[in-house]
Amino acid sequence: MSSRRSSIDEEHEENHMDGDFEVEQDDGSRRQIRHQYRELMQNMQQNRDDMLSSRSNKLTDTLQAANQLFAEVFKPREAALDAQLLVLATNLGKEKASQLQADMTVFDPTSFAEDLLSFMGINRLENPDSDSEDEACAKGYLGADAWKKLGTEAEKYFKRTPTFHFMLGSFKTEPPIVRQKTDRQKRTSKVAEKKVMPAQLKKMEESHQEATEKEVERILGFLQTYFREDPDTPISFFDFVIDPNSFARTVENMFHVSFIIRDGFARIKLDQDKLPVIEPINQESGSQVDIDNQPRYQGVISLSHQDWKEIVDTFEITEPMIPPS
Amino acid sequence: MTQRRRGRPSLSQNTSRLQGGDMDMEEDVSFTQTLTQAQRNLEKHSPEQISLKVGELVQYLLIRDQKKLPIKRADIVKNVVKEYKDIYAELLLRAKKALLEVFGFQLEEIDTKAHIYILINTLERGEGDDLKVNDNTAKLGLLTVILSLIFMKGNTAKEVAIWETLRRLRVDPGERHEDFGDVKKLVTDEFVKQKYLEYNKVPHTDPPEYEFRWGPRAIKETSKLKILEFVSKIQQKDPKSWVTQYRDAQEIPRSQAPRASTSARS
Repeated sequence: MSSRRSSIDEEHEENHMDGDFEVEQDDGSRRQIRHQYRELMQNMQQNRDDMLSSRSNKLTDTLQAANQLFAEVFKPREAALDAQLLVLATNLGKEKASQLQADMTVFDPTSFAEDLLSFMGINRLENPDSDSEDEACAKGYLGADAWKKLGTEAEKYFKRTPTFHFMLGSFKTEPPIVRQKTDRQKRTSKVAEKKVMPAQLKKMEESHQEATEKEVERILGFLQTYFREDPDTPISFFDFVIDPNSFARTVENMFHVSFIIRDGFARIKLDQDKLPVIEPINQESGSQVDIDNQPRYQGVISLSHQDWKEIVDTFEITEPMIPPS
Repeated sequence: MTQRRRGRPSLSQNTSRLQGGDMDMEEDVSFTQTLTQAQRNLEKHSPEQISLKVGELVQYLLIRDQKKLPIKRADIVKNVVKEYKDIYAELLLRAKKALLEVFGFQLEEIDTKAHIYILINTLERGEGDDLKVNDNTAKLGLLTVILSLIFMKGNTAKEVAIWETLRRLRVDPGERHEDFGDVKKLVTDEFVKQKYLEYNKVPHTDPPEYEFRWGPRAIKETSKLKILEFVSKIQQKDPKSWVTQYRDAQEIPRSQAPRASTSARS
């Protein structure tokens, strides 16, 4: 149809330029054409419902009639009427098309967005920036929790695993960023004190480490000696670590014994009275298990000064099994 | 070494489990050995060590899932499995079972070529379960809107069209958003890395235009039908009134069902 319409002007131009094609039409036949056009249009408007009905071909018939009529058209005045009829037919066609889809909804993002805003609890009366002329940004005030509200609804449609969080807060799941640290260290070491500080620190750490190691080995030596002397009597953990003369040394002993346990040289278990006993582990039997992948067990023992006193009295400890070095 | 005395019973299994010829074994071609070889490898490690490794693997998968980034097999091997590589398939199988039985999480391989995994919740959400509401909740809201637009527009959507709708929802790619920060980055980078969305240049466009599709995680975590239900609830319409989309959504279970039963073939 549109091609026909666009050709109207061309045709007329041609007609004017080329005399051979100029067809002389008398006013009578032109009036006749105009009359027929008007009749068709009137018919269309009066029988709207009939035209729109999906069972009738009236709209097509009318268009065909108009098409035949157009063969006779040579002047702009009649052509304008033809265009008018087309506009009318197009509007009817559009209405007919949307009626066809009445049982089937077409997705419209704009109305979806409006409905989403309603769901998110938009307050359409309040509008803080009322001079916003942007058409896309409709009027209304959206609350701070709007997206969370929508998200909470959205979660029902997902089989998403819930994320957990740490009960004591700030621990992050990703490892800390190392890069910054090394940069800073480099810079400071470049600036000054390259010689003195690292040397001192290293030495201190080493000596401290060595002292702990030595003490652990010394205590392990005692444990093994006691055990060798009397392999059948289990050694009470309390008897072993408690120094009746010093609470501080008792705590230190427990600290050092913890290394022995961790490294798998000894184990602590409960005897028939549910009291802890300690015994060394024969190293050869477990040596084929690589140390890195050994199962590790942890326990926490708390000992207050009061506890210490009570244990000393109850177990009648008079001498420390680990003599102070 | 056939029977175990201690260790976590839920994680421990007999080696005979392998004979089921599970799909994981089939998929992991490079890790697959003959049954006897696999059994021999299993016997190289003590049952305690194996169940310890499985525990580590479960923990690793749970932690990695926090950011909703997909988990690569290469990373699993590098960071957890290490020298147990020879029994990787069995470790993964047991970790998968533990995740399902203890947490109700399904370990899904979303890329069988690159071996990329994600976790899916198999448990139904209860009403008023009071799960924590945070920024991720808001982000899921935004994601759901985008997934809805893509699906309703016929499974692809032009980037410009997405932003046009989002602007109506006060979300502008050029502005910092209170909940989402850099929205453009969230949508075109984070959601894409998480495998919720696919973001590709439309071929033969200059200046380049981009379009969105659903990513594999979206397909696993939700479905066309679910998203259609969401849209229908928002627009207060019957899902069946969107005839084309409803038909499209119905096709999904049929095409997925045979895949699940014959997945060993892939």
